Amino acid sequence: MVHFTGLDYFWVIAYIVLTIGSGVIFYRLGKRSSADFFLAGRGLPWWLPATSNFATHTATDTPMWFSGWVYRSGMYGLWGSLFAGWCAISAWVSTRIFRRSLAGTQAEWQTLRFSGLPAELMRGWMAGWQVVLNMFVAGWVGIAMGNVCQWAFGWPLWYGLVIFSSICCIYAMTSGFWGVIIADVQQGITMLLTIVLVSVWAAIAAGGPKAIVVKIHALNRPEMLNPFHLTGFASGDYSFLWLLTLIVVPFFGGFGMATHFDWFVEAQRVQSAKSVKAASYSIWWGAATVIVRNAIWMVAVLAFFVLNPDITDSNQYQLAWFRMGFEYFPSGLVGFFFAAILAIHFSTISGILNLGAMYGARDLYHHYINPKASEKQIIRVGRIMTVVIMLGSFFFGMMIGKDVSQWLFFALWLMIAGTWLPNILQVIWWRFNGWGYLSAWIANLGICWLVVWILPAFHVLPELKDFQQFWILMGAVALIYFPVTFLTKPDDMDRLVKIYVQTRPIGFWGPVRREAERRGLLAKMEEIELKAERVATHQMGAEGKRKSAKSEKKKNKGSAARTEKRPVKKTVKMKGTGRKASKTAERRRS
Amino acid sequence: MSWIKRTWTPHEADEWTKEDWLAIVLSPLSFIFITFGLAMSLFLLPAGFVMLAVGIIASALMFWIIDPKLNAISEEYETKQREYLSELEKIQRWEDKT
Repeated sequence: MVHFTGLDYFWVIAYIVLTIGSGVIFYRLGKRSSADFFLAGRGLPWWLPATSNFATHTATDTPMWFSGWVYRSGMYGLWGSLFAGWCAISAWVSTRIFRRSLAGTQAEWQTLRFSGLPAELMRGWMAGWQVVLNMFVAGWVGIAMGNVCQWAFGWPLWYGLVIFSSICCIYAMTSGFWGVIIADVQQGITMLLTIVLVSVWAAIAAGGPKAIVVKIHALNRPEMLNPFHLTGFASGDYSFLWLLTLIVVPFFGGFGMATHFDWFVEAQRVQSAKSVKAASYSIWWGAATVIVRNAIWMVAVLAFFVLNPDITDSNQYQLAWFRMGFEYFPSGLVGFFFAAILAIHFSTISGILNLGAMYGARDLYHHYINPKASEKQIIRVGRIMTVVIMLGSFFFGMMIGKDVSQWLFFALWLMIAGTWLPNILQVIWWRFNGWGYLSAWIANLGICWLVVWILPAFHVLPELKDFQQFWILMGAVALIYFPVTFLTKPDDMDRLVKIYVQTRPIGFWGPVRREAERRGLLAKMEEIELKAERVATHQMGAEGKRKSAKSEKKKNKGSAARTEKRPVKKTVKMKGTGRKASKTAERRRS
Repeated sequence: MSWIKRTWTPHEADEWTKEDWLAIVLSPLSFIFITFGLAMSLFLLPAGFVMLAVGIIASALMFWIIDPKLNAISEEYETKQREYLSELEKIQRWEDKT
């Protein structure tokens, strides 16, 4: 049990007031328009969404599963946390394309990329699914807070879930995304500072970095310090194929959209950035901060490992980071540590509540129920949806209960395995149509349960490793959507040309490009190249002139040095005083 | 480094070129090197410092390559954004039939 002093209570209360205040203060901005309530007016500099990306990526459950992986596998566990790697390629590819589409949500993108009935079906499905999924994610993160509070204060599980999600709801509801993003900035700074502090304290408690290394060797676990430690090609816990999967899936996923659950959260931040460049930078720097955070976090977890090497219960060792803070911070700073945990918690919950509300208000209510809705009505529905998603999260949170990490792998990875490739194809291949994409989503929903739970239970399939499940799911779903794509017509060419000209996607878009050129909407490649050549020649000409002028200057310099240097008097009229002041400037004549 | 293009017209910048592909390759490499380089450096493992340095250099090179191109894309796109937004609103309100 953790005991608070007066100073600890001060930190916590002050932090809650600061968070609610920094959110609510933007109430007026949030209610200006639906673009303000959900996208902060689409005009943010890159560092604001970048900080928000980092803050939202750092949730209450994150230190839990991260601690679990590193405690079990050491530095190899960092590969598992590299799924933020999708941002590495996405920043320069799919983020750029999505930002140019201006779609507020991934559901909205469906009606821009595809045409006709499948596009509308996909938009409706994705919006409904996102509303429910955001309830689930808020519940999952919320119950992680319930677990932390139960361990620290002995509270019933639901206290931590209900109290802190309700506080978040206040500012997410009043000022929308403006409140979320501004609160995220101070939360991001608070949590990064605390993560560094906990690692410093933990390293000192374990005797310093070198002592940790020595103790790990003494415990006969040297492989924990080797991130490239492999147990074989396909066998063992750290096989080559597993490592390959951990690299290929996140990084190549960056070519597509929605290849990872975090995409839906980041898509909102991408559209809140003021320009294409700001959007790209926000995604890259947000993820870069996440990977730096992981490395710093690892110090605290490995320090915990050498101090407590014999824990076998995952529910215990996944609290490693929290325990290092609560057990080793001095009295008075423990409250600060808990305030940082609140920052971690609030940033994710508020973002999720606003995101779910956006899908509910913009994609379901505005697009399908009341297309003529005024801005005021959309914002009102957004606020109602914020509360609805919070209430739904209480249900899911209590359903998940104690073992938070158990749900992670299934929810975050296997449920998207079958749609991983279609999510890339929708960006890089013009012929991949709405029916193909829709069939992939439907097939994946059924097949993932079959492969992961049902068939192994009836011994039709053997117990498969995680990476085997992923690739089998991907292949099985492909057997459905490829035939569907080729048996149905391509999307409407008008729609394809429109999206191509606007977003300029990467990949196989030849026929669409030629059609756009035929319609005079795009300059032909040869014309662009010709123009580029002309510009280059012009620049070379200018460069040549500059060079000859320079050499001329050099020649003259020698003779100028020989001539008498004399001061040049310059007369300047001083503004406001009306008097003339003379200013002498030493000039060298050339 | 004349092989890397640093001045772009809006039309040229809209095309996917080798500069994009260089950024696409350098970006994951820098993420991997920074992650493991920093983690190992914090434990004072010599290989970590080398990896961290490689990661930072790869990142700097990537930004040096891609930044001018992104500037050109952004400037050109912002001039068209208002028009695209009004079209988006039409689709949202079912006013566009295409």
